[in-house]
Amino acid sequence: MCTSDQHKTVVSLKDVTFAYAESENGASIKNIDLDIAEGECVLLCGMSGCGKTTVTRLINGLIPHFYEGTLSGSVHVGDLDIPHIELYETAGVVGSVFQNPRSQFFTVDVTSEIAFGCENIGLPKETVLDRVDKAARELNVQKLLGRDLFELSGGEKQKVACASVSALEPKVLVLDEPSSNLDMTAIADLSDQIARWKSQGKTVVVDEHRLFYLKGLVDRVIYLRDGRIVDEMTWEELESFSDNERAALGLRVPDLTMLSRQIEQKYAQSGDRIHRNRNLRLDTSISAKGQVSLLGLSFSRDGGATKILDLQSLTLPRGKATAIIGPNGAGKTTFARCLCGIQRGARGVMWIDGTSYRRRARLKKCFQVMQDVNHQLFTESVEDEVLLSMDEPDEQQADAILDSLGLLELKDLHPLSLSGGQKQRCAIASALAARREVIIFDEPTSGLDRAHMQRVAENIQQLEEQGKTVLIITHDPEFILACCSYVAHIEGGSLAESYALDHEGYRRMLAFFMVKEKRAEINAMDQKHSPLSRPL
Amino acid sequence: MPQQILRGAVNNKGGITLDPRTKIFVAFILGVVLLTGGYNGGMAWARPTLTAIPLVLLLSVRKWGAAVGYSLAFLASYFAMTYLMPITSGPLNFLVMIVFGIFLQFLPCIMMFYFVFSTTTVSEFMAAMERMHLTDKITIPMSVMFRFFPTVNEEFGDINDAMRMRGISFGKGNLGAMIEYRLVPMMVCSVRIGEDLAAAALTRGLGAPVKRTNVCSVGFHIQDLIILAVCAACLVAFGEWYVSVHF
Amino acid sequence: MSDQKNVQSTKKTGGKLNAKDLINVGIFTALYLVVMVLCAMLGFIPIFIPLLSVIIPLVDGIVFMLFLTRVKKFGMVLIMGIIISLFYLMGGMGSFMLPIAIVVSLIAEFLLKSGNYQSKKKSIFANGFFSISVFGNFLPIYTSRDAYYQMLASSSYGADYANTLMMCMPDWSAPILFICCFVFGLLGGVLGSSVLKKHFKRAGIA
Repeated sequence: MCTSDQHKTVVSLKDVTFAYAESENGASIKNIDLDIAEGECVLLCGMSGCGKTTVTRLINGLIPHFYEGTLSGSVHVGDLDIPHIELYETAGVVGSVFQNPRSQFFTVDVTSEIAFGCENIGLPKETVLDRVDKAARELNVQKLLGRDLFELSGGEKQKVACASVSALEPKVLVLDEPSSNLDMTAIADLSDQIARWKSQGKTVVVDEHRLFYLKGLVDRVIYLRDGRIVDEMTWEELESFSDNERAALGLRVPDLTMLSRQIEQKYAQSGDRIHRNRNLRLDTSISAKGQVSLLGLSFSRDGGATKILDLQSLTLPRGKATAIIGPNGAGKTTFARCLCGIQRGARGVMWIDGTSYRRRARLKKCFQVMQDVNHQLFTESVEDEVLLSMDEPDEQQADAILDSLGLLELKDLHPLSLSGGQKQRCAIASALAARREVIIFDEPTSGLDRAHMQRVAENIQQLEEQGKTVLIITHDPEFILACCSYVAHIEGGSLAESYALDHEGYRRMLAFFMVKEKRAEINAMDQKHSPLSRPL
Repeated sequence: MPQQILRGAVNNKGGITLDPRTKIFVAFILGVVLLTGGYNGGMAWARPTLTAIPLVLLLSVRKWGAAVGYSLAFLASYFAMTYLMPITSGPLNFLVMIVFGIFLQFLPCIMMFYFVFSTTTVSEFMAAMERMHLTDKITIPMSVMFRFFPTVNEEFGDINDAMRMRGISFGKGNLGAMIEYRLVPMMVCSVRIGEDLAAAALTRGLGAPVKRTNVCSVGFHIQDLIILAVCAACLVAFGEWYVSVHF
Repeated sequence: MSDQKNVQSTKKTGGKLNAKDLINVGIFTALYLVVMVLCAMLGFIPIFIPLLSVIIPLVDGIVFMLFLTRVKKFGMVLIMGIIISLFYLMGGMGSFMLPIAIVVSLIAEFLLKSGNYQSKKKSIFANGFFSISVFGNFLPIYTSRDAYYQMLASSSYGADYANTLMMCMPDWSAPILFICCFVFGLLGGVLGSSVLKKHFKRAGIA
């Protein structure tokens, strides 16, 4: 029964229904039937809570062995009856890469981490060493061998995670939102790695919100809604959807070049932000109205020896949203920490309307919505969270703030029990209650589907309307397009450029993010030129 | 090439390599002898010898910065104790004692722990514990802790930053709140990270009932024997001292 | 092919410890130790040393009670107790720790098992017994007072510290501190279970 018409079926789910014992672990699924052929690359997509992560957990055996609940139906990978064998028996056959690079390594150094899986299943030592070597070369992480994992960037960590899985040489790879916390270069690397796995004949199952980097890799798209498979299509069909159709399905753009078309559409509409942004020309004088000026913002480590951040001067439009872009490790997070005053030893001054704010003063003027928002919610209810931020607790005002963010009905819930987007809004509410003027977001859309991304964009527009100056560190061009007016591009700890998001600005911003597309172009050129250059 | 990888795993800066068991044993001896031992008799030489061990070890793996920092901090505290203690009195004297005295007491052990944690990989650590015939009931939790202390530290730092940003570092004057605001998010985040970590480890076969391979070759070399001999001598001096004061 | 249609519930209680349990032990032991070390910092001031028998059982009760929501099998508390005592040992806190930790952990284990790992009351008592291990730290002061005094007085702590500490810890305080550890262990259990209810259950991690 294991053969379909042409290819051998590797993964087979038959009438699978699963509900978590603890519902906060994930969304339940109903009557899933799915056959995946050897060497196939399948994309699982759908809005958050559609159950796509649950499907990946069935394939790698985390359900039912790690996440408990009630399961019916059968799950097979090759001849293995996944629910009825132990997890370690699945380990050599199915490899998994997860969403958060920070929390998926078990050891503290790169070499141990890559060897970890092979060691666990007791392969001979020489084999393990060979495989570590091979996997490290495949992912181009030889230079990282022996390094401390805690010192690596998110992208590097994710590569090490891939190498560790690769070293086990599994038949099937399961990737659970692997791009969520990566910058564009790391995403392009991930895309290359998936291509490599495919070329090795491995079966790849990936569930994702960000789709563009999977172009040209995916053989089949499975669309889920409310725990059921409701549609199956090819990549071409996915691309053929109009923007409105995609919005209804809750899907992100499958190709970044589509965004340039969106820019032209925006340009054609006379009332759009793109036209207003054209008038966004900023003064360099610190006393000018309507702008926030940052002067000499810098931070260095080791007694001045290592400069992490060195911004001579940066002027931003007041009451508008500015995107902070740049590769990972460019100093964006340090910039945010310096700006909101939590980085001890940071130098520099912020000027608003002729008033200067030094580091300690900025602690009271600025607010950062952290990437892991769990760190900044302290109390036992959403309402208390807002009241805590007020100098004099005022419930009426608190309710008004919560209402404006759509949190009023949730006011008695525990902040840490909310969804990611709700937690973010809860943090925003506490910033509003403390009357902060500058609000900084650190990658607010990582791991969000389209609808939730749109919701964040709306929140940011709301903040603009209240006159707040918003800064957003992000790797998400779709999101920038949805809500930002200005861009500051940071590279190597200093300001590379800053520009208004008018027609030209949008194009410039988009070009920065097209890493994968640029790479493809270079590869194509290399191929064209190589036959000519060889004979010499 | 495999041999090169091996070296990468064992030590990222080059220098002399010690068996992880030696390191753990030395840390253990340092804790017991320096923190519970006295100052007279054989301890008069055992104490400075043991205090010097972390310095020697740090130099042996070319951690110059840590070695210099350790020496400076130690000397500064030592001189502060020698010269400030006699000339101060009352609360000020007490303050000097707390700041420098206790620092002096714990510094060698702290540096030794730093040495162990920064030069031992989880893989080596597990290999060493397997060689000591500990069951994986102890090895697995201990290696998770190895990985988890830096994480808790990171989380704690982030939470403290967030509290400063909200202006509630001191819980608005309420001691209970001060602890609660730190402990609750720290535990929630740690537990969630722990869950991810467990899932990732289990899908890579942790806990399989086979004999675990280990890429790092642990074994005692001449450098281990020298260090162990020195420690053994100090332990004898400690034993002598212990008997002399207790019986 | 066999009938796979039957619904299986995969919740497990009892049986052998698996890797997931052991990882949980590691995580919570790390948390327990971090909280303990932070509390122990107070011990730099000698009058706070007897107070440690109040503070540690109380605050670590929160960690312990959350840990117990993960404990469904025999052995997890025992492993935690052994690892903690090993760390005490490395920190030079006396050699009494290991046997004491094993005894109190075993009492806690049997207590939990008798309640089938469900009983809240028995969990609170388990924290009471587990906290007694804190008392092990004080034992050297009582059992070999002179030697301990000599050691402290000649060390960089100095004679003042040693005198104050000895004054704070007279012989008659031993039974009191012992009882303190247990009683505040119970209170820590109560505090822990109220924090469970107030935060962790509602945040979805308990």
